[in-house]
Amino acid sequence: MNQPDRDRSALERMVAGDTRALEELYDRHGDLLYSLVRRVLSRAEDAEDVIQEIWLQAWRGARTYDPKRGTVCGWLVSIARSRAIDRLRSEGSRKRATDAAGVDSPDPPESPAESAVDRQRREHVDHAMSQLDPQHREVLQLAYFAGLSQSEISERLGAPLGTVKSWTRQALSRLEKLVPREEWL
Amino acid sequence: MREHRTEYLELCAGYVVGSLDRADQEALEAHLAEGCAICEGEIRHLSGAATLLAVQTPARKAPAALRAKVLAAVEADAKAFRPDRTEPALRLEPPPAKRRPPYAAWGLAIAAALIAVVGVLEWRANQDLKKQLAETQASLDQLRKSSEEERSWAEVPMAPLAVALDLSPTPDAPGKIAARITYDPISRRAVVVCTNFTPPTGRDYELWAIRDTGPASLGVIHADASGRSVVRLPDAGSPGGLAGFAVSLENQGGAPTPTSPAGPVVMLGKLRG
Repeated sequence: MNQPDRDRSALERMVAGDTRALEELYDRHGDLLYSLVRRVLSRAEDAEDVIQEIWLQAWRGARTYDPKRGTVCGWLVSIARSRAIDRLRSEGSRKRATDAAGVDSPDPPESPAESAVDRQRREHVDHAMSQLDPQHREVLQLAYFAGLSQSEISERLGAPLGTVKSWTRQALSRLEKLVPREEWL
Repeated sequence: MREHRTEYLELCAGYVVGSLDRADQEALEAHLAEGCAICEGEIRHLSGAATLLAVQTPARKAPAALRAKVLAAVEADAKAFRPDRTEPALRLEPPPAKRRPPYAAWGLAIAAALIAVVGVLEWRANQDLKKQLAETQASLDQLRKSSEEERSWAEVPMAPLAVALDLSPTPDAPGKIAARITYDPISRRAVVVCTNFTPPTGRDYELWAIRDTGPASLGVIHADASGRSVVRLPDAGSPGGLAGFAVSLENQGGAPTPTSPAGPVVMLGKLRG
């Protein structure tokens, strides 16, 4: 059984009320979600609050997972990103996160925790991102990590709104082609 | 069905990275709600790529203590919402034992009389059982309804597009009042959790939706003795016209008109920007 299938099986057990299934998912994806939330929120206390909200949301909303929209890991990542951006917006600390959204100056990790597989996947994604046009890369990072809307990105980059929409689609399509499918989450 | 147009495909990319402006998001969601295989396929296709962005973060090890906190919170939640907890097992008392005539030799008349008495007792026992069963069934139905209602409200924060908003105190806010609103733009439902909401004597806190057409009262907030209140709003308003929420401090009973606070606004939160 591969990882997506194991995740699906764990989610089914969560729907049936098995808390050990959530523990299993936490052990597989907890570090990824924590890393993502810390990328959006610089304060560790905020990140830890949000992490608890994320896993409670996953527990209570397990039945809302729709396999047609992607993998369980993708679903968890989308909850994590969404909750982190909510917190960022409520704190009004968007500028700080915007400043941190640049790929060229990421925060150093608190403690390296990657497996060889995760490291290889990240290298592939880093390489793919470096292949994107700079404005495509920036559009993705401002949207995904800083939570800016397309009109806010348009204003920030001085580019027409229609262009920002096109860049977003072109960037994702290119990224999708550059990263081997077996590296997907 | 709304006709598929190419511009929806560009919106799909913004949708998966969460950057659509409100009007675009509403237009795409309306289109998806009507069913569009092309856009659904595009979203599925691009979601995989968007998820990869999460990998592009410096790897961090989540603190061990956080794992314990998460698992404890989930265990507590699992116990609180376990469905069996609210449904007591159906227990019915057995019917009274049938009385038998002690002396068969007393004759047919006495036997017939006893049979008649037993018949009446059985009939009464059956009536009691039916009544007890009906009452138990009604009680179970009520418990099920309450349980489903609770579950339904517990799912508001889990809605895919739900937004959590912490209201900020204004300079007029007394003490350390705090309020968090979770709003689901699809169902238009919202849950408001208030703390330290004990109003001064003779006053009441009132919750407001700030709409494009002006303020609209969502009702007076009644807190318990500790100042805590959870307000459930079945319809907080359409996402298209809802700009945020506010709390005002009013005379007891609330503002005289439901379209304008009369007292000072003590908390404010915007949904956008």
